[in-house]
Amino acid sequence: MPSAKEILRKFTELKTLPHVAIKVTQLVNDDRSTMQDFEEIIKLDPVLVTRLLRLVNSPYFGLSQKVESISKAVVFAGMKQLRNLVAVEGLRGMFKGDDADFSAQKLWLHSATVAILAGMIAKRIFGKDGEDVFLAGIIHDIGLIVENQMVGEQLREACKAFRDGKGTLIECERNAIGADHSEVGYLLTQAWGLPQEVLSAIKSHHLVKPVKDVSGTGSILQLAEFMAGKMKYWAIPGPTEQLPPELTEHVKERVADYKIIIRDLPGEMAKAKELYEASE
Amino acid sequence: MTEPTFDSIFDDLIDVNEELQSFLAILEALLPEASILLVSEAGTVLDGARPLALVQPVRERLVQEAKAADGFVAGKSDSGARCHAVYLAKLPAVVIISCAAAPEDDWRPGSALTTLLQNTIDLALHRQEREMLVADHEQSVRQINILQQQHGKLIEDNYRQYRLNQDREKEYARKLESEITKQTAELREANVRLEEISQLKSDFLANMSHELRTPMNAIIGFSELLSETPLAEEQLDYTRTISQSAASLLSLINDILDLAKIEAGKLELERLPFDLAEVVDNVAAMFKIPAREKGVVVACKIDNRIPKRIMGDSNRLRQVLINLAGNAMKFTEQGGIDILVDYEREAAGQIVSRFSVRDSGIGIPADRVEAIFEKFTQADGSTTRKYGGTGLGLAICLQLVELMGGRLAVESEVGKGSTFYFVIPLEEAPAEIISLKEHKAAGREKAASGGRILLVEDNAVNQRLASILITREGYEVEVASDGAEALEHLRHQVFDLVFMDVQMPNMDGMEATRKIREIEADPALRQDYVGLRTLKEPLAIVGLTAHARKEDETACYDSGMNGFLTKPIIKAKLAMVLSEMMPRISCLENKDPS
Repeated sequence: MPSAKEILRKFTELKTLPHVAIKVTQLVNDDRSTMQDFEEIIKLDPVLVTRLLRLVNSPYFGLSQKVESISKAVVFAGMKQLRNLVAVEGLRGMFKGDDADFSAQKLWLHSATVAILAGMIAKRIFGKDGEDVFLAGIIHDIGLIVENQMVGEQLREACKAFRDGKGTLIECERNAIGADHSEVGYLLTQAWGLPQEVLSAIKSHHLVKPVKDVSGTGSILQLAEFMAGKMKYWAIPGPTEQLPPELTEHVKERVADYKIIIRDLPGEMAKAKELYEASE
Repeated sequence: MTEPTFDSIFDDLIDVNEELQSFLAILEALLPEASILLVSEAGTVLDGARPLALVQPVRERLVQEAKAADGFVAGKSDSGARCHAVYLAKLPAVVIISCAAAPEDDWRPGSALTTLLQNTIDLALHRQEREMLVADHEQSVRQINILQQQHGKLIEDNYRQYRLNQDREKEYARKLESEITKQTAELREANVRLEEISQLKSDFLANMSHELRTPMNAIIGFSELLSETPLAEEQLDYTRTISQSAASLLSLINDILDLAKIEAGKLELERLPFDLAEVVDNVAAMFKIPAREKGVVVACKIDNRIPKRIMGDSNRLRQVLINLAGNAMKFTEQGGIDILVDYEREAAGQIVSRFSVRDSGIGIPADRVEAIFEKFTQADGSTTRKYGGTGLGLAICLQLVELMGGRLAVESEVGKGSTFYFVIPLEEAPAEIISLKEHKAAGREKAASGGRILLVEDNAVNQRLASILITREGYEVEVASDGAEALEHLRHQVFDLVFMDVQMPNMDGMEATRKIREIEADPALRQDYVGLRTLKEPLAIVGLTAHARKEDETACYDSGMNGFLTKPIIKAKLAMVLSEMMPRISCLENKDPS
């Protein structure tokens, strides 16, 4: 059975995140990068330019003047939002294909929901900048995409076993494939140079272990994952995993907050759709 | 997909009745004397702190009636107390209240009591909603805080960007500066290389000219000597032709060398006092003979406002005038040639003068005027053949005049003649400066001695030629073939003058001259040299070289020579040098003072 690394090596030979996305990610992490550097990269991708301009000119930003230059748009959007925009743009193309056992499209919907929920929780409940958890959300199941392309048969086997209640998804994957998507995803995104917080959240999003920091990216991702699953925006249909007790306790304490988040989710999703997916 | 609710998501984790429980608590707090019961939509019964006993059939009837009714429905508790039920759609649940109200109280809808109770329930509902509102508000506040943080970060980012840009600009400026420095250094180096190459070229030209002049020396000298031997008319004619051809070849070599020097920027004008009238007269005199043969009159005139002695390069001025007059002579068959120097104006202490050479020759067509100043060009292709010449002369004149601070131009009319002219500033020579040559000559005249000459020359042909020429001038000649041999001669014999070739094997002329000067300066050494110990003045040494360049002449003087003569040796020049350097009285008869 292939290891996560082997699966990944074959995958990266075939497909990589668009150059633009990797470059932008690196720029965000580099203190010495300037707006001009972003502009240089982004202007190579006309679709991205269009989206970026639409983003900053959307009511969300509420600017009085129309922004028409890339550099200005970058300034208004901020580097992280820009990175997320690029990541969404780059990843969406990978989430394609649909069949009974594995639907990449449904996975995309799941990822988007988790990302939006995670962003909401981070901002509304913990008062944290939600861009990193958003990225973690959008990217956390990338390992499944890799597996789908590299070891599709085995993945379908694992999905079937999971649906039939023969263990957790991770266990089923390990049995059928020899690796699991959180490991594969972690290795892949490590190569892309994402922030450490995001990397470990991806690695541990199915891990059952005592929660140290309820407000951490990993916890938020787990909460969002749980909620999205309950809403049937699941990655792979099957039983929803239990929330760790610390997180259950947290939800009990913040019932009103979560009620509001659930109430506002449809609106936020519509907004995200507008920002990230609006057609021409 | 149906809209997800909190309950559908968190039902596993959280007691769905928790909300009802909290409402119950709020309501109990508002109605301290009442007993309250809450029945959820699912039929779950929640008891308050003060239990209200109600049998199930009664409770179920009350719930059903309350759900159907709009307002309160009445009932009786197990203890016989009156109780009232109402359906709250917001929860949703039915609330059953028993309070210490009088039996006769009015429970009809709209009564004071029902309104009061209804308001109390609404208040409880609102209090519970308030919790949500507070949470909502808190979430908004947090989000606003994030936006503020983001705003602050944006400003920080922008400031950082600004600083980065500044740093980059500085870096760029620094790079630019170092790049400029680097390029400047490279340019300098390239310049040095070019100068070296140019120097090599000059050296090559100098060597070439030397190599060419040496055989020319022999050709001119010997054809001159030949023409002086008894010859048949035909032979004499051939000899003259050889002489003339050699002379024109020599002038061509000189022209090419001059042009090369000018183009290399190597030509520097002298600044010495000279007699302008003498130069002009000399030029005119040069053309007197060919003019007479052609029947053309050569005249010259200098404005009397122009000072007699001026500062400048007489040789180069002469060269220009000879060139222009030579051209005039070449293209003029009748009439006259005038060499004129006119006063134009005085400016900054200098006299701006106009030199012109006017002829009555064939003239130059207007469209060819520009071309004649080009190298190797004459007024038309056929002219070259008919009148001869390389066309280098005017190109050289043009450049020389430019160096003098003027511009050579021409006015011409076909069939009537041409006037070549240039306007240059002339500076009057200060009275106290007397020509060095004159000074030397004057000094020499007083020192009288014999008429023995030592010729130091390595080339056998040149030895013979120079010997013959010097002998003809009436001097005794001794020959040495290099510097070392010359020193040997001086050890044993007395000479009045030394002709010293510069380029020789073993010890060259410069080195030999330096040696001689060293010996002269050392009283002890001097005693060993018969030719030097008796002399009161330094031995007269005239350099002989085929190098016609200015710097060669300077090098000769620097090594200690007193005179300089270029090869090929021209009889007239030799005579002039000898008359300048040798005492008047010196001749073979008087060499022995006895």
